[in-house]
Amino acid sequence: MNALLARFGFGRQSKSQNDESYYTAGQLALIKARFKRKTSGVVAAWILGTLVMMGFFAPFFSPVDPTINGADPDYRRGAPQAFYFWDENGFSLRPFTYTYTKEKARIDLKALAGGGLNALDALTSSGALKASNQNKYVIDKEQRRYIQLFVKGWEYSLIDLSVGGLDLDIRWDRHLLGVEQGQLHIMGTDEDGKDVFSRTLHAIWITISIAIVALIVKLFSSLLVGGVSGYFGGRIDAVLMSITDAVRVVPAIPIYLACAVALSEMDLTPVQRYFAIAVIIGALDFPTLGRRLRTHILTERNQDYVLAAQLCGSSSWRIIWRHLVPSFGSYIIVDTLINFPYVILAETSLSFLGLGLTDPINSLGVLLQKAQDPDIQQNMLWQFFPVAVFVFLIMAFVFVGDALRDAADPYSEKK
Amino acid sequence: MVIEFFANTWLLWILVSVGTGLFWLGRDSQYFNYVFNRYSLALLTLLLVSGVVFVLMEVLPGDCAEKYIAYKNTQGETITQADIDAERARMGLDQPMVVRWASWVTDLTLRGDMGFSCSKRQSVNLALGDRFWMSFLFCMAALIFAYLIAVPFGILSAFTINKTWTDKNPQHTPTERLINSIGMSTQKVLDLVLRLVSYLGLALPNFLLALTIILLYVFAGEPMPTGLYSDEYRNVPWFGDNGFSWGKLDDFIGHIWLPIFVIGWSATALQLQTVRALVVDESNKLYVDAARARGVDGIALWAGYPVRHSISPLVNSIGFDYNRVFNDLPIVAVVIGLTDAAALLIEALSMTNDQELAAAILFLVALVIISMNFFTDVILAAIDPRVRKSVLGN
Repeated sequence: MNALLARFGFGRQSKSQNDESYYTAGQLALIKARFKRKTSGVVAAWILGTLVMMGFFAPFFSPVDPTINGADPDYRRGAPQAFYFWDENGFSLRPFTYTYTKEKARIDLKALAGGGLNALDALTSSGALKASNQNKYVIDKEQRRYIQLFVKGWEYSLIDLSVGGLDLDIRWDRHLLGVEQGQLHIMGTDEDGKDVFSRTLHAIWITISIAIVALIVKLFSSLLVGGVSGYFGGRIDAVLMSITDAVRVVPAIPIYLACAVALSEMDLTPVQRYFAIAVIIGALDFPTLGRRLRTHILTERNQDYVLAAQLCGSSSWRIIWRHLVPSFGSYIIVDTLINFPYVILAETSLSFLGLGLTDPINSLGVLLQKAQDPDIQQNMLWQFFPVAVFVFLIMAFVFVGDALRDAADPYSEKK
Repeated sequence: MVIEFFANTWLLWILVSVGTGLFWLGRDSQYFNYVFNRYSLALLTLLLVSGVVFVLMEVLPGDCAEKYIAYKNTQGETITQADIDAERARMGLDQPMVVRWASWVTDLTLRGDMGFSCSKRQSVNLALGDRFWMSFLFCMAALIFAYLIAVPFGILSAFTINKTWTDKNPQHTPTERLINSIGMSTQKVLDLVLRLVSYLGLALPNFLLALTIILLYVFAGEPMPTGLYSDEYRNVPWFGDNGFSWGKLDDFIGHIWLPIFVIGWSATALQLQTVRALVVDESNKLYVDAARARGVDGIALWAGYPVRHSISPLVNSIGFDYNRVFNDLPIVAVVIGLTDAAALLIEALSMTNDQELAAAILFLVALVIISMNFFTDVILAAIDPRVRKSVLGN
């Protein structure tokens, strides 16, 4: 493997002795080697890797608990708190932020109770009720809060495998960033005082995990349809493929919508709902991959190795799963990766319409949904931070997918 | 009597006579035999689609009878379960699903009747009216927009894919190398920028893009380009007393560019990827090398060989591209406040749960896609020798 990479990475001087490793390398090794030569793909892969890591270990990277427990009631609708290294009071090697306090809204309810309509008029015209006035805060430049690393905070489970039946739940309470007093809101807070930055980090992994579940379901449904159809051929093939074609021409998002509406009538916990949506997105997405698999298997099933397996007495299932599908493995992996952004977009569209995941869960779709609120558009632009992260994530996925598609094409190699 | 009979069954006669005509022509022409086969396959797929759509609509909660009765309930009448059941029996909703499906399909094939919309309280054909054509035009315009951008830049992207940033050819003089390097790196940068821009269309969800554009209008203090017409032209007829209303057309164009641009941009990314993959695929084939060896070079080589050959698979996929574009339309319609079929679809699905209306719209979209697939297949088989050979044999 190293010899192979050296061949692709460092040129031609050792060509002859490495030729063999090139010709005997497996499909995946070849894809990997070709991928490394795509600069844009590699850069995108690094960005993607960073985002996914930050999403996976979100509790460690986020300074504040994203749930309502960590919400800061004194800093609702708060602006982002910037870092500084120096100001007029001097330079500091350790970055610091100021102390931000919100003015208490000075609404004199007593006057309102006794004063009648005139008092109400005075209150409304004073502007105290305006949304933009509620965003005002005071910066105390004398009170610096220095940024600390590995701060003790709320306890979280770093890796939790107890769901998978294993008795492994590593808990920790250190966080990468933090301040000594109060909370650090890098990207401000929302209406409930929840930290936008922390919510976004947590949302990344939720969104990606939905996509993973959906893609696994999609893989199995396509393998089932494509495998059965291609292996048995004949009448089964004709029936399955006409159904596939029929599903393929109906637009997908309206179908997801119909299913989501049906789901919203059922009494599901948020977690069940989350899985149900992922399964629906995945299960209805089989036509394209299923059809390609079927074509591949139709051509492969007359090969000698299939005949050999049949003569050895292998069952049909074994031949499909152990011989035919693995011969298509690299294509399946690449196709799955390429489809990530589309699945994420589907989830986002559903959440945008309020039919996917809903608010207490931090998914990117839920956070993007807020962007349609005129109050946020005009007064809390920092809540567009999830949008930026989302765009970065999708772009990274698309560029990685692009490079992978080129790398996986066995004929792209110039002879 | 006879006229009434034909008026009630006209669609069936058209379908049957087209089929018979094709079959007749196909007796001694291999090509028309293929067309006939495709025609029957398309009809079969449509039947299956109607089944799929019908089954899917079953998952929507509630039915027409309940909605009628719920309406009556608001009028102060007391309603019992027996009333609901009676209403259900009257509307034929107590029949098993297969029977209802069969009657729906029969009505549709006999006279193009797509059922009754219970939230609109009129027949689906009336409720849809020209809204379906409006959606169709949006999608087609978005597709054309996407193709206009994706095809040239996809080809450029494929052209630069295996090129280096600098010219290292030792046979060139340093000046030539410098000039070539500048040209090549410009191409590379252009390719990268265009890919970034087109993928941005994919990564920015449609609704956000539409919202951003509307917001920009708000900040600029201009009237928002939402809806289809501005208030002043909403009730002006197209053909008024003083001839065609050009002002209305101007106003219309000033509004419809927004949905077209929004859905077209996101479709561009995918189209660009497809064009790029197709052209790269073709450009590595031996006939391109053979042409290069004969001395064909530059634009003549690219336009005449790989590009020309990668166009027909692109045409072939236009039906599914329509599907993808229509997919995005409902959400954009909600944000922009359009009143086309896509907006109607989302209303029927998520607000009024109007099964028949939603099923009809989905079926119509599928109908458009299937007919597009049919026509592209037939036309390609007529003009592209490679396709002809593969579908007709020799």
